Amino acid sequence: MFRIRFHGRGGQGMKTAANLLSRAFFLEGYEIQDAPRYGSERRGAPIFAYVRADREPILERGAITRPDLILVADDSLIHNPSAGVLQNVNSRTVLLIHSEVPGEVWKDRLQFPGTIIGLPLSAVARSGAQIPVVSASCTGAAAGLVGVIRRETLEPALREELTRLGESVIAQNLETALSAYDAMQPYAGCVKEGGALSAEDYAPPDWIEIPYEDSTISAPVIYRTATSEQIQTGLWRTRRPLIDYSHCNRCSWVCSTFCPDSAIHVDPDRTPHIDYEHCKGCMICLAVCPPHAIYMEKEQPAPIEGGAR
Amino acid sequence: MSEGTIKSMKNLPQEHILGEGTSLCAGCGGLGALHQIYDLLGEKTVIVNAAGCMTSLAIYPYTPFRGSWLYTAMASAASGAQGIRDALDVLIAQGRLPTEDDLTVIALAGDGSSYGMGLSATSAAIERNLDFLYICYDNEGYGNTGQQFSAATPWGARTTTSRGGHHGKKKDLFAIWAAHHPVYAATVIGAEPLDLARKVEKAIRLRGPRLILAMAPCPTGWGYDPQETVEIGRLAVRCGIWPLKEYEEGRLTHTRIPQPRIPVEEYLQKQSRFRHLFKPERNAEAIAHIQAEVDRYWSNVA
Ligand SMILES: Cc1ncc(C[n+]2csc(CCOP(=O)(O)OP(=O)(O)O)c2C)c(N)n1
Ligand code: SF4
Ligand SMILES: [Mg+2]
Repeated sequence: MFRIRFHGRGGQGMKTAANLLSRAFFLEGYEIQDAPRYGSERRGAPIFAYVRADREPILERGAITRPDLILVADDSLIHNPSAGVLQNVNSRTVLLIHSEVPGEVWKDRLQFPGTIIGLPLSAVARSGAQIPVVSASCTGAAAGLVGVIRRETLEPALREELTRLGESVIAQNLETALSAYDAMQPYAGCVKEGGALSAEDYAPPDWIEIPYEDSTISAPVIYRTATSEQIQTGLWRTRRPLIDYSHCNRCSWVCSTFCPDSAIHVDPDRTPHIDYEHCKGCMICLAVCPPHAIYMEKEQPAPIEGGAR
Repeated sequence: MSEGTIKSMKNLPQEHILGEGTSLCAGCGGLGALHQIYDLLGEKTVIVNAAGCMTSLAIYPYTPFRGSWLYTAMASAASGAQGIRDALDVLIAQGRLPTEDDLTVIALAGDGSSYGMGLSATSAAIERNLDFLYICYDNEGYGNTGQQFSAATPWGARTTTSRGGHHGKKKDLFAIWAAHHPVYAATVIGAEPLDLARKVEKAIRLRGPRLILAMAPCPTGWGYDPQETVEIGRLAVRCGIWPLKEYEEGRLTHTRIPQPRIPVEEYLQKQSRFRHLFKPERNAEAIAHIQAEVDRYWSNVA
């Protein structure tokens, strides 16, 4: 059975990528299982999707814990702990990262036990014009790497899944998928099917035990308020707003009132500060600041620490 | 009634008490309005939240709120508010809750519940003169489940269940509330913080059923870059498609009369839910129809 995981951010099209790839497997005669997995988080938050494909009916359920192949939409996710890209990787795992940095460099940086392949995003995908283009690139690359999906299968697979988006979107995505497929030819077939799993090897997920009050109260009690501040939504950010204090006229209210996330605090001396642990990078502050004192930079990937977990 | 304290932007709250780290979309216009409202409401509130995007705010053990919060089914925010108000009143009457610890009961619901499923329960609660503040954030669709159309979706908007453009008309929830003669009802938008703050301040001082109806531009459901949430909100007011008004003591007042009104297409064309009205060909008839509806509304405003 092939066990494949896609990692991206909400809005990057990982769910579509999983749909496209499983359609291609299906057209090649495979049984498939395809599911996106996300919590209540919205666009920008890390999500994953997974695909299982086998010649036999698939009885396995749940998230994939022994990935044969992992596809990553962009390299900023690698060090994002909540993305869990490197979870349960092993020496058989092939990791494909959309990145300008070559795979060998990533393998070295992450002390990764398996194979890493870097695939630069095509110019068209980088333009950000069509979110599904990242999906197409993931799909094409995955199809190339598993070695059991023919090049000519990609067209009907994309066509069947993307019909409602119209001809020009299909054509653009097909071009991207085919070029990713071709780029993977040196590695074609390097992803090998994993064997059956046994119940003995099953590792339960990391549960959080929630204490309950006794039954006269019968509900979990919140002893602390505004606990959401423990969640670092700053990790969603792909772009970072910065305040140019030489232009800020200390109005004391515009950016901090309009920030939907209460992530801009104003000092008593009227100086605003952005809380980067929580700022999601919506850029409303940049759009509303009257003297244009806020500018934007691409978010830097988090610093490299340690190896694969 | 005494004068409010919020006279200019400088009087807006400078401390923002709604916790960061919520799971709502970057640039959410509903959260943008809620955080401004919550800064004014303060901690002594209990929020009764009908299923929708906002219910993902408080998932145990995480909450951005500083007070209690109750999750209800889509149709039941007003009924939940009634139960809590009654419980508080009973506790106070029995001397088990000091009067100074009383809480303001807030219903928080999206347009799907407020204009649709929850309308009957809300109508009954207003009729019973329930002392509560009802906040509806109107993102003109079922946002939480992927933007299907609701009774608040405007004519012509594309949603996941109206691919060629919605055929229904947006219900007038404000007028429905006003027809119940509540103590107060107002429309607001996060893009106009001063107007919003004055109305919320007024609503807080009153007792009885009160509505704050906030248009909530939704980058995800409406299709635009999150940084444009405020700009789109301002355009909605300036083109007249979202009138800012209040109902008080039987009187309806428009708190902002946009003059001149900009063409409604400046608002429409920024959102991909209306893109089919402009591409591949301009649908002049549909755009003129939307403009005519807006013009008709304002021609009736004295
Ligand atoms: C009776 C019922 N039907 C359907 C649902 C599923 N559901 C959860 S949230 C939601 C959308 C609610 O829309 P709205 O009230 O506009 O809030 P929004 O999601 O836009 O914030 C739906 C349909 C539900 N919870 N209850
Ligand atoms: S879908 Fe819309 S209303 Fe819901 S959280 Fe996202 S931006 Fe806000
Ligand atoms: Mg809604």
